Amino acid sequence: MEILQYTLRKLVTGIPLIFGVTLISFTLMVHYGPDKTYDLLGKNPTQEQITEVRHQLGYDQTFVVRYTQYLQELATMNFGYSDSSGEKVSSILIRTMPVSLALILPGFVLGNLLGIILALISAYHRGYWIDKVIMGVSVMGMSVSFLIVIIAFQVIFSSSKGLDLFPVRGWDVYSFTDYIHYVTVPTLASIFVSLGYNTRFYRAVIVEEMGRDHVRTAKAFGAHPIELLFKSVLKNSLIPIITRIMFSIPLVVISGSLLLESYFGIPGVGKVTYDAIISGDQPILKAVVGLTAIMFVFTLIINDILYKVVDPRISLK
Amino acid sequence: MNLVKKRSTAQAREENVGESMWSKAAYKFRRDRTGMMGLYVVVLYMLVALGVAFGLWGTEWSDNNGQKWEGISFQYWFGTNILGQDIFERAVFSTKTAFEVGLVVAMISTLIGAILGALSGFFSNTWIDEIILWVMGVLDSIPFYLFVAAIAFALSGFAYSMHVAMIATFWTGTSRLVRGEVIKLKNFEFVEAARAVGVPQHTIIFRHILPNTFHILLVQSTIVFVGAIKSEVILSFLGLGVKDGVSWGLMIAESTLEVQAGEFANFYAASALLFILVMAFNMFSDALQDALDPKKVSA
Amino acid sequence: MVNILLQNFKWLNGLLLFMVAMSLAGCNAAVDIDKALEGHLKGPAKIYRHSLRGAPSSLDPVNAATVYSNFIIVNIYDTLYRYKYLARPYEIVPNLAVDMPEVSDDGLIYTIKIKKEVFYADDPAFLNGKGREVIAEDLIYSIKRHFDVSNRSQGSWLWDGKIVGLNEWKDAGSNYNQTIQGLKAVDSHTIQITLFKPYPQLTHTFAMGFSALVPHEAVDYYGREFSVHPVGSGPFKMLRYESSNYALMIRNIKYRQEPIDLSFEGYDPKLHKQYGIDKIAGKSPPLVDALKIDFIKESASKWASFTKGNEINFSGVPVEQVDQILTQKKPTLILTPEMSEKYHMFHTIEAGFVHTDFNMRDPLIGYNDDPIRDKRNKKLRCAIRSAFDWKERNDVFYSGIAVEYPGIIPPVVPEFDPHLSNISTLRNVDEAKRMMLEGDWTKDNVPTLVYGGAASVSTRQIYEQFRGWMKDIGFPEEKVVFDSYASFGDFNKAMKEAKIMIIGSGWILDYPDAQNTLQLFYGPYGSPGSNNSNYNNPEYNRLYEQTSTMLPSKERTQLYRKMNNIVIDDCVSITGLSRDNIFLWHKSVISYPDSGIVGGFHLKFVDMLDEEGK
Repeated sequence: MEILQYTLRKLVTGIPLIFGVTLISFTLMVHYGPDKTYDLLGKNPTQEQITEVRHQLGYDQTFVVRYTQYLQELATMNFGYSDSSGEKVSSILIRTMPVSLALILPGFVLGNLLGIILALISAYHRGYWIDKVIMGVSVMGMSVSFLIVIIAFQVIFSSSKGLDLFPVRGWDVYSFTDYIHYVTVPTLASIFVSLGYNTRFYRAVIVEEMGRDHVRTAKAFGAHPIELLFKSVLKNSLIPIITRIMFSIPLVVISGSLLLESYFGIPGVGKVTYDAIISGDQPILKAVVGLTAIMFVFTLIINDILYKVVDPRISLK
Repeated sequence: MNLVKKRSTAQAREENVGESMWSKAAYKFRRDRTGMMGLYVVVLYMLVALGVAFGLWGTEWSDNNGQKWEGISFQYWFGTNILGQDIFERAVFSTKTAFEVGLVVAMISTLIGAILGALSGFFSNTWIDEIILWVMGVLDSIPFYLFVAAIAFALSGFAYSMHVAMIATFWTGTSRLVRGEVIKLKNFEFVEAARAVGVPQHTIIFRHILPNTFHILLVQSTIVFVGAIKSEVILSFLGLGVKDGVSWGLMIAESTLEVQAGEFANFYAASALLFILVMAFNMFSDALQDALDPKKVSA
Repeated sequence: MVNILLQNFKWLNGLLLFMVAMSLAGCNAAVDIDKALEGHLKGPAKIYRHSLRGAPSSLDPVNAATVYSNFIIVNIYDTLYRYKYLARPYEIVPNLAVDMPEVSDDGLIYTIKIKKEVFYADDPAFLNGKGREVIAEDLIYSIKRHFDVSNRSQGSWLWDGKIVGLNEWKDAGSNYNQTIQGLKAVDSHTIQITLFKPYPQLTHTFAMGFSALVPHEAVDYYGREFSVHPVGSGPFKMLRYESSNYALMIRNIKYRQEPIDLSFEGYDPKLHKQYGIDKIAGKSPPLVDALKIDFIKESASKWASFTKGNEINFSGVPVEQVDQILTQKKPTLILTPEMSEKYHMFHTIEAGFVHTDFNMRDPLIGYNDDPIRDKRNKKLRCAIRSAFDWKERNDVFYSGIAVEYPGIIPPVVPEFDPHLSNISTLRNVDEAKRMMLEGDWTKDNVPTLVYGGAASVSTRQIYEQFRGWMKDIGFPEEKVVFDSYASFGDFNKAMKEAKIMIIGSGWILDYPDAQNTLQLFYGPYGSPGSNNSNYNNPEYNRLYEQTSTMLPSKERTQLYRKMNNIVIDDCVSITGLSRDNIFLWHKSVISYPDSGIVGGFHLKFVDMLDEEGK
């Protein structure tokens, strides 16, 4: 009951955020976005036809009217049809979102897991050579551009000039082996770029935790290293770790896969969104931006609830 | 008389705190070998960039005099690209572009972050704070590339649309840190003293409190600098990057097709120069953090 | 304490489970051809996998504006006419029509009979799900749809102001129950069209996807989503379609039986036997059971997929691969032995051309009220054209295999003049400098040249190359700038609003008649029309109007060539180049591909060899 009340209250406070995100995105992407009129017109159009298309796209309406319409669409979750293909926006999203998730998730999970493991090793051997090596490599990993990693990995693993082990592009997945086949190279690339950041972040968190008195005492009394790490350190570091992971989720789902999807030709939501930005397909943009904002608010709420689960001392008030 | 004296004590205290922190930090930084190495490399790049800005070198980046994809030669140190342009000249010229992007974005976003963060912290739990927090929350919840792309479209034709987009997203990080620090600082004795003697609020914020967050601003601006030149690469690949001249991002974008034809010169030149600079900057930035933040855990 | 550990693992387990679940969900979104075909076909299926370098935007014939849309649409829908599979130059022949149209002596009344007992493919849109017979009214309905503003037609320009009563029908509010005087069904299988004045290209418009026959039941049934649920009477039926990803079609079992007459299609053993075309004689299209078309924009990815062997069967050759697969480029292209062992090759000049236009509405470079400046501007344009190096453009961006030619009549149309002097395509720096001098242009007084384009690597490179040439004739580097638009839509808009000074553009022909490219310089078609250069020359306009009602003839060709020379003399456009498209396909496929005028029509003739090579 308490949790329910808390959730409702949080939902209400999330409304200004949704309002702000939609307002800014609407202004930038819809109001000032690319003009689709001439894409939809035939050759040698008359002024009359131009006016008609602009009218059908809603360009002739005032900002306030269009924004209000958008909020209505968001409230009813009815985003209409794509301006390019005429397909229902909801069916486009239902088709592409699972692909993006399936693409990004292994890299995300493994990137964080490996980050935590390396951070634990590094923190435990703080100041020794192994720590220095891990940290040095992390900085190097952080210094490589994602784009360079993608290009290089595609050449190394997929192209006929390299190992030629995996497909260069596409997403023809209909079994688990296919899935592994298509997801490996993008996953390796995303682990490579995120690992440095993750390791450093988690190491900082863990080192701070290890500096606490009870951990130092336990260490001094010769507690088993693994047990020590899991029992005392990891447990108490859980809050910052959860926060970091939770907050990456909405962004990972939408934009994290943009580069991977466009470079590997994977039909996920990131690519669809980017194409929509380029072509000015406003119904899709409105849906994606609105849903991201809502997801963000939900993340905030779930995050707070998770805090409570992890550490019952935190009050829900 | 009394007033002046009190004020000077407050200031003296501030300066004293500052001085000891900075001299300690400088000492600590100088002993950090990787940090110093990073600094040397960054300075070297900066000299190269300055040379380009003053027209000393990198002037032939736009000439297409060579043949398509010439190999390495005495004339073309890194070979030529598809248009027969000298890749070395272009890579050197791009150093200037990188510094331009990095400096503009780092300076402006740090400035905005500092001012808004300080206001937000000083007036914490008031409507000013609420609004600033709301703006930051909103900006942080829009996916970065979508946001940047949207700004690039909205400001279509404006040469600095990419810079604006990065500034709009990068200042929030700095702002949050400054806000936290200011909340801490505003309860310090010297602030309370200033307040007690009726020093105007803006003077307190900008003359007394903000200078004490300088170490955060310095470190943040190096982080933003690195973020900006890394983002430039990806944005240029997506066609949203720099409009004039050439950049490492544009070179890498060009190389995506060349790599398929077995021509790697563009790719190697741009990515190696980019990597070394970012790496050096990261090392420099780390050492700076270690030196300036006594609480920061270090190796 | 231990349970914390356990909890941790539970959490991880949960995540892993979630991950697997998501990956399976991701699978459902993709396609397993065999699984998708299950229940639709019996026995082992012949599946041909084609590829296109772009995706269709819409599959509704009223929006068949792109090559890609048209390509798919002509396979799902029927058109009255089509082009012969093998004959070059292209020859138009009946498709759904029984014969070529009967045209009255004054050229104004067209009577077209359509074949009987042709049925639409089965679809839930029809009563009991059974496709009904195609009738003459369907064509009329399909043309009417272009003049119904709610459909946002992109093809109405083909018939706009040409058919008696059609525009009035539109102005009266597009009531489909109202008949149109100039567009009526004489009986259930005869169409009669009345024109205001002769329109020699009319028959060609009935070979375009725009004129495909659409059943009104499907339009009513699918509403806005008709554009992704095509229902027609063509050789294939859409099974699954993911916009911007792929289209999977199966043979339309109700497609009319019409055995292939190879000599009618233009078979020439010298040209076509090497591809095994003789094997399809007497068979009735479509020859494959299923057709999958992947839309792959990234050339490298497409190439990799093609060379894998078990993925796409067909690919164009990306420019960056051309040098690696050929042993010889001139006089003919020859594949390397290892390539020719695995693949068939065919190459053809594209049905289109690339050109760079000056915006004549820009007083800095085009027409100017001051007659002296107007003359100087012409000198400047001619100087820029002389500095332009088509050969180098060809070498750098098209591997040197494209065709450079003067003027605006490309080699693919019958009116092309191979003997026209090519001096306007050649780079001549001395001549360019002389022009600059004559026009009194110096590095201090030249206007800043603004080259517009949508932001992409290749556009930027094309601009950089252009800047290099301009520097050679005295333009300072900062006076040749790139105006990059973040999207093609924005670029297009700026172009249609005549805001771009120098426009690099390309044109793809709608039908093989030079009229289609000559209209690009017809004054009244200035922005927002197709005339991006906003060229407006009374003499040229007069000739255009004169020729627009003429049937193909020697006289018309003479006038076309005269118009061509006017454009060249006025230095309004830097022309031209037509790319040479190289196609490769697996040896297991019998095909004679085309990306231009025949385009999608060739797919119903594609066959696959079985394992014994039959």
